[in-house]
Amino acid sequence: MPFKTWQCRTCGYIYEEEYGDPGEGLAPGTRWSEIPDSWICPLCGTAKSEFDMIEL
Amino acid sequence: MTIPSDIAQTIIDPRAYADGKQVDDAFAWLRREAPLEQAQPEGFDPFWVVTRHADILEVERQNELFHNGDRSTVLTTIEADKKVREMMGGSPHLVRSLVQMDNPDHMAYRRLTQGSFVPQNLRALEGRIREIARGFVDRMAAHGSQCDFARDVAFLYPLHVIMEVIGVPESDEPRMLKLTQELFGSADPELSRSGGAAQTTDQGVDSIQSVVMDFMLYFNAITEDRRVNPRSDLASVIANGTVNGQPLGHLEAMSYYIIAATAGHDTTSSTTAGALWALAENPEQFAKVKADPALIPGLIEESIRWVTPVKHFMRTATADAELAGKKIAKGDWMMLSYPSGNRDEAVFTDPFKFDVERTPNKHVAFGYGAHVCLGQHLARMEMRILWEELFARLESVELDGPPRNMAASFVCGPKSVPIRFKMH
Ligand code: HEM
Repeated sequence: MPFKTWQCRTCGYIYEEEYGDPGEGLAPGTRWSEIPDSWICPLCGTAKSEFDMIEL
Repeated sequence: MTIPSDIAQTIIDPRAYADGKQVDDAFAWLRREAPLEQAQPEGFDPFWVVTRHADILEVERQNELFHNGDRSTVLTTIEADKKVREMMGGSPHLVRSLVQMDNPDHMAYRRLTQGSFVPQNLRALEGRIREIARGFVDRMAAHGSQCDFARDVAFLYPLHVIMEVIGVPESDEPRMLKLTQELFGSADPELSRSGGAAQTTDQGVDSIQSVVMDFMLYFNAITEDRRVNPRSDLASVIANGTVNGQPLGHLEAMSYYIIAATAGHDTTSSTTAGALWALAENPEQFAKVKADPALIPGLIEESIRWVTPVKHFMRTATADAELAGKKIAKGDWMMLSYPSGNRDEAVFTDPFKFDVERTPNKHVAFGYGAHVCLGQHLARMEMRILWEELFARLESVELDGPPRNMAASFVCGPKSVPIRFKMH
């Protein structure tokens, strides 16, 4: 399955599955579906449900 | 308990922010002894001082419980508040930008320009911003071996970038810089419109109001132009955009320009100037970045934390609430102290050390939550490009006299950073 990219609607933070976010404890390759629903945007605190899938 | 009056005086005193150490010491004391208590300096309504990183996030995350617009969004005296309300038909604000709005308006107005400021759309500007940055690096080189980095580079570069983004012609940039400095520097005798710290509330509010009026006159003309000749700039988005199917209100449109034209450069300038000041004082940090440009993003985050150019914003509780074990009553006013959050010992090891390798570096200098800085990605990108261009040529830098900060308790940073340098 190809990697996808998600973006926070509030602040524009981008989560790329391929690169993960090691600073957040998310290893490269971590799928969006594997991140818990309680996770919030590391830049602005917006809920995971308020992210959109985007094409870069 | 109420915060002791000497501490309360210090954290609102523009000169203490210019000094730096005075506010650092006061906030360090508060974080230790009274991390969330009320202050009531003479002439002010009481307000909670939110000093801890975690509590700042907690307030900002709950943007329905803690509103921006119900009372003044910046700390203001009882008398000044009264005067503003008289002038503005009961509203505590002279402008109505995103900062003064709450939902549903906030989200609707923010959506209008948010797309312009997300990383993937900013990428289109990279080449042009690099050209601008190179121009400033060339100008610095042309100074020889000495310059005032704040005045000669740091104030001008972010100004030029944001004015191009908005669509203000280069010939008007000096005017925009002067108006911005008059607005944020109204308590600094060297920068204020009256040429001295205002002696009375009337003078203070009048001079801020007259700066706002000048901005409005200017941007009104730009709006009229863009309605007839739309371009691909932010001014055209504001002039021709719609919110809930209607064109923007006049005050809202003017306020949108004003916030972009002020917050959009002064903060980034302060951070850039403060970064070079810190690098000059910490040659080992300079050497690290020089040897490994991959540390530039670390330098940027650390300098934003270090300078924290926005010193506070206020929030107002919309209902009784509890925060960190304290009872906050409906209507209470709260000061979010970003510099304090960014020196919080519970989050940052050795917070008073400038460390370009600090990881993680989750500072709150851009705020958090629904109002988190709209321009954060632009600010980072501008600084990254400038440092990439400058580090490619700069061999050494040292201070050439004492740097000085602007005196302000809302938005401020260095106003003069004299340096001696070598570059090729
Ligand atoms: C290092 C540079 C900057 C710093 C430290 C900074 C800091 C801040 C802070 C602390 C806030 C309030 C956030 C909150 O209430 O949670 C803010 C809001 C804002 N900033 Fe920045 N800023 C910077 C650069 C910029 C730039 C380049 C722009 C360009 C457009 C900009 C535009 C705005 C706007 C429009 C808001 C209001 C957002 C809202 O209320 O929804 N800022 N900024």
